Amino acid sequence: MEIQKNIEIIDLALYLKKEKILIISDLHLGYEEALNKQGILMPRFQFEDIIKRLKEILKKVNPELIIINGDLKHEFGTISRTEWKQVIDLIDFFKNKKILLIKGNHDNILGPIAKKKNVKLVENYEINNLLITHGHKIPKKLNKTIIIGHEHPAISFEGRKDQKYKCFLKGKYKRKNLIVMPSFNLIQQGTDVTKQKTLSPFLKKDLKNFEVYIVEDKVYKFGKIKKLKEFSS
Amino acid sequence: MIKFKDKPNKDEEIFKVFNPLVKEWFKEKFKEFSEPQRFGVLDIHNNKNTLISAPTGSGKTLTSTLTIINELTTLAENNLLENKVYCIYINPLKSLSRDIEVNLNKPIQEIQKIAEKQNKELKIKIASRTGDTTTYQKQKMLKETPHILITTPESLSLLLTTKKFREKLKDVRYVVIDEIHALAENKRGTHLSLSLERLEKLSNESPTRIGLSASIAPLDKIAKFLVGTDRDCIISDVQFNKKMDLKVLSPVPDLINTTHEEMNNNLYDMLNDSIQNHKTTLIFTNTRAATERLVHNLKERYPEKYNDNIGAHHGSLSKTHRHDIEDRLRKGELKAVVSSTSLELGIDIGYIDLVICLGSPKSIARTLQRFGRSGHKLHETVKGRIIVLGRDDLVECSVMLKNIIERKIDRIHIPENALDVLAQQIYGIAISDITPIKELFELVKKAYPYRNLTYTNFKEVMDYLSGEHISLEDRHVYAKIWHDEETGMVGKRGMMARIIYMTNIGTIPDESAVKVKVGEQVVGTIDEAFLEKLKKGDVFVLGGDRYMFKYARGMAASVQPAAGMSPTVPSWYSETLPLSFDLASEIQKFRRLMKEHFENKSSKEEILEFIDKYLYVDERGKIALYEYFNHQYKFTKQIPNENQLLIEHFNGQIVFHSLYGRRINDVLSRAMAYVISKVQNRDVEISINDNGFYLTGKEGKKIQVLRAFKLLKSKELDAVARNAIESSEILKRRFRHCAARSLMILRNYKGKTKNVGRQQVSSMILMAAVRRISNEFVILKEARREVLEDLMDIDNAIKILKKIEDGEIKVKEINTRIPSPFAFNILMQGRMDMLRMEDRVEFLRKMHALILEEIK
Repeated sequence: MEIQKNIEIIDLALYLKKEKILIISDLHLGYEEALNKQGILMPRFQFEDIIKRLKEILKKVNPELIIINGDLKHEFGTISRTEWKQVIDLIDFFKNKKILLIKGNHDNILGPIAKKKNVKLVENYEINNLLITHGHKIPKKLNKTIIIGHEHPAISFEGRKDQKYKCFLKGKYKRKNLIVMPSFNLIQQGTDVTKQKTLSPFLKKDLKNFEVYIVEDKVYKFGKIKKLKEFSS
Repeated sequence: MIKFKDKPNKDEEIFKVFNPLVKEWFKEKFKEFSEPQRFGVLDIHNNKNTLISAPTGSGKTLTSTLTIINELTTLAENNLLENKVYCIYINPLKSLSRDIEVNLNKPIQEIQKIAEKQNKELKIKIASRTGDTTTYQKQKMLKETPHILITTPESLSLLLTTKKFREKLKDVRYVVIDEIHALAENKRGTHLSLSLERLEKLSNESPTRIGLSASIAPLDKIAKFLVGTDRDCIISDVQFNKKMDLKVLSPVPDLINTTHEEMNNNLYDMLNDSIQNHKTTLIFTNTRAATERLVHNLKERYPEKYNDNIGAHHGSLSKTHRHDIEDRLRKGELKAVVSSTSLELGIDIGYIDLVICLGSPKSIARTLQRFGRSGHKLHETVKGRIIVLGRDDLVECSVMLKNIIERKIDRIHIPENALDVLAQQIYGIAISDITPIKELFELVKKAYPYRNLTYTNFKEVMDYLSGEHISLEDRHVYAKIWHDEETGMVGKRGMMARIIYMTNIGTIPDESAVKVKVGEQVVGTIDEAFLEKLKKGDVFVLGGDRYMFKYARGMAASVQPAAGMSPTVPSWYSETLPLSFDLASEIQKFRRLMKEHFENKSSKEEILEFIDKYLYVDERGKIALYEYFNHQYKFTKQIPNENQLLIEHFNGQIVFHSLYGRRINDVLSRAMAYVISKVQNRDVEISINDNGFYLTGKEGKKIQVLRAFKLLKSKELDAVARNAIESSEILKRRFRHCAARSLMILRNYKGKTKNVGRQQVSSMILMAAVRRISNEFVILKEARREVLEDLMDIDNAIKILKKIEDGEIKVKEINTRIPSPFAFNILMQGRMDMLRMEDRVEFLRKMHALILEEIK
């Protein structure tokens, strides 16, 4: 499904058709290890599951460039053994494709790996009136369409609060088009945007007018958040 | 072999084995032995495992320790006392350890005094060791080891893992387990049963086990629980040797057509009269809130009679307040004390001549325990009253009293094969020793709760602990033990093992109060278990105000004020105890007898006479009972009973008159709702109480209940029930408890403590992940077992379905335009749970279709 002209939702990723670019966001590799460090014996399946899902996506599209829109890894301020290994494995997985890493708030020590694997690490990426940025801070220059991650948006419905669904959001920020991507972290669904407070400075205003695209077995267009709120109460 | 002892020993026989000092002291102090002592002391002296069941206050503690004191005195006299533990005394309540210490020290000091006259010094040491013991005190215990060590089940398992102290435990001769009835029925007891086997493994010679229990059934099972597989035990049952004066009282003759005010007036007059006519009265209510209310109202209504001479005592009150009440009780300064459950167990609380239970205590054993708090001294009469507040209560309590007077006690359920507790204890063993896996399996099977443990289940626990389910490269993170397949040896892994074990063991889950919020403002707290029962739209009372439940997030419940709306859930719901199956069966039998009378067209007088003969109720109660059954029979021509399951259709709601107790109704109702939701493709709401349950379809379409009921076969109930609980709140909570017990979630790690909310969030992620490993992952399997076997009662639910299949219980359907009298209370319960038919994606699709309609 196209969320905007030329921008297609493929599972939890976005695909820029004309530019042949695939964007994924917020993988949080090493999340399980972080839980382990807190004394929670979480078995590690995430990497395996991510690869499985990426393979399916790559069956549908054939990108020339892969952009990882921030928070590739989970730990702040340090890089764990697993993170190091999994980041390298992920880069290797895309072997014959170009990869671009966008810096997220969890990525402050990704530099050495990027260098080692000869992958570019940037703050933002611009192409044809499009700005791709992680979304934890607002860059000086904004383009007509902005794609961010960081927020991990998800939705739940009244009566089944236990079920959350990952979703894309589409709305406006200072009269620019803003697209918010769900996280590619497969352990948690994300932040329930109908209930919880949002994190990103891009989402401080007008959230209720954002449109919701839920990704489950396929993409479901759900209309505006405010409609959903009215509807479920 | 388990043997009941039918004759007590003679006093001279017992004195013969006593050290002269002890004999002198005893004769001076008591003159003769008490009944439990005559039964127990000599057997213990002969190192026979012994279970003593006797009422509180009959001197059980001294019975169990006389022999030990006797032996220690002899050893001390001959300077043979070594610096090691001779006896471990286990009491479930940490707070009682001090009192027990004092109580045990007294005879020892008195004997010491006698010894001093002969210029002898005995130096017998007693100390208690619990979670409150300081590091300094612990260090001191190594140098000056207590000969009698008083401890809790949890602290015992820690001691067994403590390198240096283990050495002190190798020659323990006696283990006393106090209040064993309070332990056997939950996982603390399961845990203890394994600790005892660990002690056995450590000991040079098998210690003699002594169990002390209040009235409980079945005693032979408790004895087996005490000693484990293939060991002998002698049971001394001296529990009914006290005289009893018991009655059920009804405040009004008609429990239904009475105004709330009249009811209250009569109730408080009744309470006041009783209190005034006795020296000290102990009143039990079923909830903490009711406890407070009662004290408040008595003071309000009779200000000249009650002021400082009455007090409340329950678990939510501060320790200081409780100790103050206990002290004043002992000193005889109080006219009345009102308690929920906190004064059921425990030490001497002084002179109490009357116990009143307000509302049904729900089990015979519990009622006995409560009544047993009166006439605490030997040879005094136990005086107890139950005041009933409703008609079901009246039936229940009258039948209960009959059972007490006729000495039938309901049987407790002992959890079996708890795999989470097993994992924790195996870890403990691995930390202190390298053991062959075969020996480990045999050790575990020696404990009664694990006597039927399969090797498959045992191996699954071992595989979990050794990280078999995890890929080799990550195993170092998960594995708590190593298991060498070739040598068959098992040992611990990791430098942190001991500290992890020390800071995380135990079986009592961290439960916590859930914050109740209106918007961001906290208006109070509710019990986590109560939250489990709440569904959106439920109205409940909190601190005198009414609130409607919206949703829960983590450990906070979001509500909105609901002034003027009637509560749909009684707020004490989670606190009330389930009716025991045995008592339920007795009530069903009474219903059958009553039905036969009505069907045989017995006259009112005849039936009243029957009630009078069969039960032990006052005049008002008798008439109220008759009227209740008479209404039911006149209205429906049916009285559901042990031979008939009545299904009543009322206004789209289906009431099952299944008086089997909540533990069984929980299984049956969820399974029924599941079958209906699957076969008829719809959501079903359920609500249960002890007397039955009701189902209702959300869209108001008629549910074909009989068809669904026929699909529910006894053979398949287990599988259906498993499906029915799979996405329930209760399974999520219980999985958290099991994950913590099996140390999948460490509550304390690297100096940080996780709060319950954090544990719950982690456990939800964890639950999804372990399902990915296997839907039968050992800890998930344990959570399901705990829900179905311990919280609910699947075994008896299966038996009931079997009886229906065999035609022993007939199913009868009726339609009513207003609910029948027996259905009334079941319908009053308010909704409890909703069984959903759709899975995740189906639900999303439905919401999507709805919203498309909306935005068209």
